[in-house]
Amino acid sequence: MARAPSEELAGAGPVPRPPGLLVLEGVVAGYGGGDVLRGVSFSVPQGSITCVVGPNGAGKSTVLAAISGILRPRRGDIRFDGRSLVGRTPREILGRGVVQVPQNHSLFREMTVRENIEMGAFTLGDRALARRRLEQVMEMFPVARERARDKAGALSGGQQRLIEFARCLMLDPLLVILDEPSMGLDPRTLRTVFATIRMMHDQGRTILLVEQNARAGLRLSTHGVVLENGVVRLSGSGREVLDNPEIGALYLGGGISAGPTGQHPAGPRSGHEGGSP
Amino acid sequence: MGGAVAKAVVDGVLTGGVYALMAAGLTLIFGVMDIINIAQGILVVLGAYLSYVLSQDLGIGLFLGLLITIPSLFVIGVAVEWAFMRRLQERERTALSILVTYGVAIVIEGILELIFGPNYVQLRAWYVNQSFHVLGFYLPYIYVFGFALAVFLLGVLYLILYRSRFGRSVRASLQDRAAARLVGVNVERVSTITFGIGIAVTAAGGMVFGATNAFNANSGYDLISRLLTIVILGGLGSIGGALGAAVFMTVIEGLVAVLWSPVWATLVFYAALVLVLVIKPVGIFGQRAARAQ
Ligand SMILES: Nc1ncnc2c1ncn2[C@@H]1O[C@H](COP(=O)(O)OP(=O)(O)OP(=O)(O)O)[C@@H](O)[C@H]1O
Ligand SMILES: [Mg+2]
Repeated sequence: MARAPSEELAGAGPVPRPPGLLVLEGVVAGYGGGDVLRGVSFSVPQGSITCVVGPNGAGKSTVLAAISGILRPRRGDIRFDGRSLVGRTPREILGRGVVQVPQNHSLFREMTVRENIEMGAFTLGDRALARRRLEQVMEMFPVARERARDKAGALSGGQQRLIEFARCLMLDPLLVILDEPSMGLDPRTLRTVFATIRMMHDQGRTILLVEQNARAGLRLSTHGVVLENGVVRLSGSGREVLDNPEIGALYLGGGISAGPTGQHPAGPRSGHEGGSP
Repeated sequence: MGGAVAKAVVDGVLTGGVYALMAAGLTLIFGVMDIINIAQGILVVLGAYLSYVLSQDLGIGLFLGLLITIPSLFVIGVAVEWAFMRRLQERERTALSILVTYGVAIVIEGILELIFGPNYVQLRAWYVNQSFHVLGFYLPYIYVFGFALAVFLLGVLYLILYRSRFGRSVRASLQDRAAARLVGVNVERVSTITFGIGIAVTAAGGMVFGATNAFNANSGYDLISRLLTIVILGGLGSIGGALGAAVFMTVIEGLVAVLWSPVWATLVFYAALVLVLVIKPVGIFGQRAARAQ
C-alpha cells in the first residue's frame, strides 16, 4: 500500500511527476442547476501537500465533495491509488483511506470532544483498534485530552479545528483533504494549524488542501493547483504557481491588488491574505 | 378547590407524559430531516383506531395490542418516507414537507372516516373505567398506566439515541448532516428509520389518547395543533425541550380550566404559542435553535 512519501519531492528545482496518488480526469459535476465543475483534471502526487487556490465560487469545495463521494460527478473519473472512486459511497471512500475536514465547522456541537473524535472511527468495525487510535490521537492533540469531556460547541474556533483534525486521523488516512483550514483563525492559531498539517504530512500522509490564504497555503505546499470558474487554470510545483506572474497578481495579494479599491478576486474574505509572516 | 387544583396538576403531568412521547417523535423527525410532519396528529388517531379494532373485534388487550400497532406504524412511517419524503429537495424541504404531510394527513383522515364513520368512539378496558382515590380525587387507572407506558417508551428512545451505534448516527445527523456524511454515516438510511420511529410512537400515544378521550377521524387537527405548540415551545429539534414543554402546557391547561374556565383552557396552547414566537422564537425549553441556514 502506498504510504511513505516519495523522496523525489524534497528540495526545489524541476519537480519530477510521480504518478498521482489521486488523479482527477475531466471531472464534470454540479448541484442540479448547471455544471459547477467543467472538466477538472489534476493530480495529487503521493506524499505531496497539494494546495488548490482560486476565487470564491470557483468550485474548490465542489471538487472536494466529488472526491469524498458526497457529490457524484456527471462525467470524468477520480482515481485513488489506481482505483476509481466514482460511484463509491462516502463510507467506502473513507475505507480506502481518504478523509475530509470540511470548510465550515463540522463538529457535533452537543457531543463531547471525545465523542466527536470517536465519531471519526464510526465506520471502523474494530473497537479495540478504535480505542488504540483514540489514545494515539489524544497523544498528538493535547487539547483533545484536556477538553475531552467538554461539549464541542464550547471550544474556540481554533480548538474546534484541531479536534476536527484529530477526528479525521482516527481512520489513519492515506490522504487528508482540508477545506480552508485557516478560515477565520487568528495568526497564532493559524500557525498551530499549519504546524499540524506539517505534522500529518511528516507522518507520511498525503495532503490535499484548499486555501483562501493562497500565499501561505502555497508556501506550505509542494504542489499547487489554480482553479478558476470550474476548470484548472494552472498546476505545478508550489514554487511554480507562486512565481507565475499572472497568478501572483491575481491571487497572491501582489502589488496591484493592494490598493484600496479592493478589486481582489478573493473577494470579501481576502482580509487575512498574507496575514502570516 | 384544593382538590381540583391537585387533580389538574396530576392530570396535567400524566397526560403531559403521553404528549411528550408523541411530540418527541415529531421533533426528532424535524431535527434529523428538517421535516415537519403535519400528519403526526392523524397518525395518533390511526393508532387509536388500530387499538380499537384489535380490542373490539379481536379481543386483544390495549397494551398487548401495542406489539402489533407500534410495528405497524413504524412500517407506515418507513413507507411514507420512502414514497414522499426522500423525494423532497433538500433546499426547500421544510416548507414542502408541510404541504406533503398535510396531504398525507387528509388522505388518512378520509380513509378513516370512510371506514369508521363520523361517530365518536372511545377505547374500553377495566383500567379505563375504574378509578382509584388519591389526594382527594378519583383518578382512572389509565392515566397512570398511560404515563408509565410513555415514560417506558421515552426511556427506550433514550437508550436507542444515547447508548447505541445507530443512536450516535441519529444524533450526528441531527447536529450536522454534512459532517455526519463525511464520517461515513448513511444519512438517508438514518432518516428513513428515524421517520419510522418518530411515527411508531404515535401508536402508543394513540392508544392512551383513545382511552382517555372520545375520538373520531377529525380528532387529528386538535392533536397536531397541540403537538406543534409543544415542539415549537420546546425548541424545534430538541427532545428534552419537547418533554418539558409537553408537561408544562398540559399542567397550565388543566389549571386554567379549574381556576378560570374550561373554555379558555383550549386557547392556552395557542396563546402560549403566539407569545413564545413573539418573545423567544427558538422556544423556551430548548437551548438549541432550529438548524441554521
Ligand atoms: N449545495 C449546493 N447547492 C447548489 N449550489 C451550490 C452548492 N454548493 C455550492 N454551490 C455553488 O457551486 C459553485 C461553487 O461553489 P464552491 O463551494 O465549490 O466554491 P469554492 O471555490 O469552494 O468557493 P469558496 O472559496 O467560497 O469556498 C458556487 O456558485 C456555489 O453557489
Ligand atoms: Mg469552498
